[in-house]
Formats: sequence, C-alpha cells, structure tokens
Amino acid sequence: MSTPVASIAKLLTQPTSGERARQRINWGMRVIVGVAAFLAILPLIALILFVILKAAPYLVPTFFFNNPLDKEPGVLNAIVGSLQLSGLTVLISGPIGIAGGVYLSEFASPRVVAIGETVIDVMLGVPSIVAGVFAYLILVPVLGFSGWAAVAALSILTLPIMMRSTQEVLRLVPQAIREASLALGVPVWKTALFVSVRTALPGILTGVILAFSRALGETAPLLMTARGTNAENWLDFSTTMNAMPIVIYQYSNAASDLLIGQAWATALILMVIALTINVLVRGRTVNSRTA
Amino acid sequence: MATEKRDTENATTGAKDELAQAAARPAAQAAQRASASEGDSGRLTLDNVSARYGAFRAVKDVTLAVRPKSVTALIGPSGCGKSTLIRTINRMHETLPGATVSGSISLDGVDLYSSDVDPVRARRVVGMVFQKPNPFPTMSISENVSSGLRLTGGTSKSEIAGIVEDSLRRAALWDEVKDKLNQPGTSLSGGQQQRLCIARTIAVKPRVVLMDEPCSALDPVATLKIEELIRDLATEYTIVIVTHNMQQASRVSDETAFFSMDDDRAGYLVETGPTAEMFTNPKQALTEGYIQGRFG
Repeated sequence: MSTPVASIAKLLTQPTSGERARQRINWGMRVIVGVAAFLAILPLIALILFVILKAAPYLVPTFFFNNPLDKEPGVLNAIVGSLQLSGLTVLISGPIGIAGGVYLSEFASPRVVAIGETVIDVMLGVPSIVAGVFAYLILVPVLGFSGWAAVAALSILTLPIMMRSTQEVLRLVPQAIREASLALGVPVWKTALFVSVRTALPGILTGVILAFSRALGETAPLLMTARGTNAENWLDFSTTMNAMPIVIYQYSNAASDLLIGQAWATALILMVIALTINVLVRGRTVNSRTA
Repeated sequence: MATEKRDTENATTGAKDELAQAAARPAAQAAQRASASEGDSGRLTLDNVSARYGAFRAVKDVTLAVRPKSVTALIGPSGCGKSTLIRTINRMHETLPGATVSGSISLDGVDLYSSDVDPVRARRVVGMVFQKPNPFPTMSISENVSSGLRLTGGTSKSEIAGIVEDSLRRAALWDEVKDKLNQPGTSLSGGQQQRLCIARTIAVKPRVVLMDEPCSALDPVATLKIEELIRDLATEYTIVIVTHNMQQASRVSDETAFFSMDDDRAGYLVETGPTAEMFTNPKQALTEGYIQGRFG
C-alpha cells in the first residue's frame, strides 16, 4: 500500500550519506574562523602590549607634571592642551549639533530629513586631513596657528557625529510619549524640548562624550593648526597650543631615546583616556537599555 | 436637537470663552478654568467628519451628537476608523504627516477647526487617554500628573501640589501611590500606569476626555477598576471611548455608536443610540450581526 517507513531507532542512529563529510567540513570551518578571529585581535593585543611595555619606564611623576623645556621634561602642556581643545570643540559644536539633530528628528519635513541625512553622511565621510587642509589654507591665514583654528577644524569633524547621534536617540523615543504631551495641550516646541529631548538625554550625552573622544585622538588637523608648542597654554586659544597627538607625532621622529619613550608614554595616556571613555559609554548604554 | 441647543445657550458661553481667549493670557487660565467649570455643557457635535491619510479616506462623513457628561462608546470591527475619528476630536490626527480632516467638530457651539482655535488650546479642553499606558519615563508619579500644568505654564507651585492630589484621588490612585509620589511613573503596574495617565489628563481640567481602547493592554481586574473610574468621571466630563470589547461598551457607556467599513475600507457610522437599546434591539442588521458575534 505505502512504502515501508524506517523505524525511528534506525532514523536516529544510522548515519545518512554525506553525514561524515559534513561533520568534517563543519569542524574545518570552525578552525578557520577561529584562527581568523585570533589573527584579527592579534594586532590589537600586540599594540597594547607594546605601548605598555615601551611606555612603562617613562611613566614618572615629572612626565605628567612638567613641561617639555623643564629640567625633567614632561608633557603636561600637551595633556592640558588636548583637553582644552577637545573640550572647547565639544562646547561649540555640541549645542549646534544637538540642535541640528533635534530639528531633523522633531521638526523637519521628510524631504528635509532626507537631504539633511545625506549631508550628515557626507560630513561624516570627510577625512580629517581635509578638515585640516581647509583650516590651514582658509583659517590659519586669518587666525594664525592657533587653538581657534584647531577647534574649527575639529568641530567640522565632530558636528556630524553629534547631529547623527542626537537624531538617532530621539528616533528611539516612542511616538506615544510625544503624543501624550501634545494631547495635554503642550506646544510642539515644549514637547520637543522637555519631553523628547529630556527622555533621550542620556543618549544625547553619550554622543557628546564620543565626539569628545574623537576630537581627542585627531592628529592631522592639529598639526596644521594648533601646531604644538613647548609652552604651557591655559585658555589662550589665539596662539599655538600643544596636544597629545602632536607630541606623539613629533617625538617619535626625534633622535633621543627619552623623547621616543615619551612618545610611547603619551600614546598610552591617550589610549587609556579613549578606552576609559568608551567603556564608560558602553556601560551607560547597556544600563539604559536594561532599565 | 434645535430646542436643546437653545436651552443650553447660556451655559455654552463658558467653554466658548475659554476656547477663544485662553492662550492669550496663560496666567489667567487657572482662575478662568475654575470660574468657567460650572455652567457649560461640554456638548460635542460631529458634522460630516471625514479623515484622510494622504489620499486614503479612513473615516467617511460621520455625523454624531455626543451627550454632555455621559459616556459614548464607539464600537466596530478593527480598522473601521474609530481611533482615527476620536483623534480628530482633539486635533491629534493632523499631527501625522499627510493627515487631514474635513467637516466640522464643535464643542458647545465652537468649531474646533475654526481659524481662531489654536490646536494646542483645543487639546487642553479635549483630553485624551491612549491605548497603551504612556507615562513620561523620565518623570516621577507626581511629576507625571503635574506635567501638563508645568509644561503649559500659568499654574503656581502651591496650586500644583493640591491639583496633583486631587487628580490622583479622582483617578482612584491616591491611596496606592501617596507614599511614593517621587518614584518613577513607569515603576507602577500597567493598570496603575493607565490610572496615572487618566490623572495626568484630568489634571489640566479638560471638558471632554477621549479614551482610545484604554483597557486593551490591561488584565481583567485592572480593566474593571478603569471601568468604574470611567463611570465615575462621567459625572463631570463628557467621555468618548473607543473599545473592541462589547461587554465593556455595554458596562460603561450610556450611548453606543456602531461603525463599520465600506468597500473602500473607509469607516462610517452605521447607527447610534442608547446603549441598552443598541445591545437589545439594534435597528440595523449589520449592528445586530456584529453584536451577536457573527462578524468583526
């Protein structure tokens, strides 16, 4: 009547044709992707180990608290310079970038949003050397080599980051929350500010911190604008300023073991700051997601 | 209908005044709300209302008179435009891109869509409770209740504390939350959150409260509590409630309007009448079929 059906026991225990080969291919694939994954993180491990080992002997208090021309030279002026440049960059581009993101998310028509998003994509793709060359050829002739020119160049790079992150976290605010506010008779702009932005605030601040971290590590625009100096500069953005990436670049070419060592040590500081920021931000996002 | 309108003419001036002037003098609003609350009726009249999403007409030519200080239930199968229709009453429909409304909706004789009624003002007079409880996640319980007052301005801090307590009592939530007013609104259970949203809505002293399936995300016990609350609120507010649950409509409403949709998927009003009559002796065969569970 019907073809005989194999017993369940037989189906479970008897190998089907090609089963052995499949198992071998499976095993082989696992080895290949495993090795590839290891090769991918190998440079990172090597980099971290090298930086730590090379930097360790030079991490003495005077390195952190003295300036390059002191008897026991250090890179204090580069550390404070970097923090000031990145800080001012975020202070200037932050409000503008956040406002732009709020506009795109809460007010703009779909057409304007499409145009705005394309512009942001283009801006995100601008290589930092291009921002540097713009500042060098257009701003430096007017402002001179200065903190202002550096902040302008860095802002070109951080603005789209903050616009994009603001727009994206606002998009995660449920429409129901906005409607609840509108239905209470709250005007649109107050709803945008005190409900949407307020709800997305942790995410918006995360974007600001990431932009700060990006500005901190940029090198090319700084070499062409702030240029570096041996002097300690507090808040005088009208003249040259030192920064950690500049120190790393210049010292690593120097004919001096001390300076080369300090280049490694400065690289370590930069790496630790950037890693700390990234880990903190990661913790925040994970927390806010589970909350 | 016409005679009724004349009878309530005196009473209508209160809401009319409020709609026409309130926004110009936000500071005077609180006083005005207090003084205007007695006389006016809260009569809602929909005349030939159609609502569209772009070219698609979701609601077609609805004409409906809603009795003041009573509960009117809108029932009908999914997708027949009930939610769209109530969103036209507080001018929320037009906040969606491409969404438009035609026809007229008037409250105590004032056309909510006339040029001298700002949509923001219309929403202060016509409050709304949504399908899913949507307390503001960044605000505490008490801040949620006072959010409308704080964000629209014109109410002093000292007044706000009293209004928060009154509104929470009115929403039958006070006893459950009085010791944790500073905890996040989202820490409450679903049913409590929905009562919090009701408290938030009545805190701004609307005249009409729209409810869009307010119990569909709640369990039966929480649903029963909200239903009791709706009955209680009807002594003070004109309530329009959309519901999928016919038992709910029969339990809470005084009047029922039954909607269906035509071949173009446009929702239209089939018939309306006192709830008891609609459920025992509907005039239209379509209504009878729906109520007896033959479709929908």
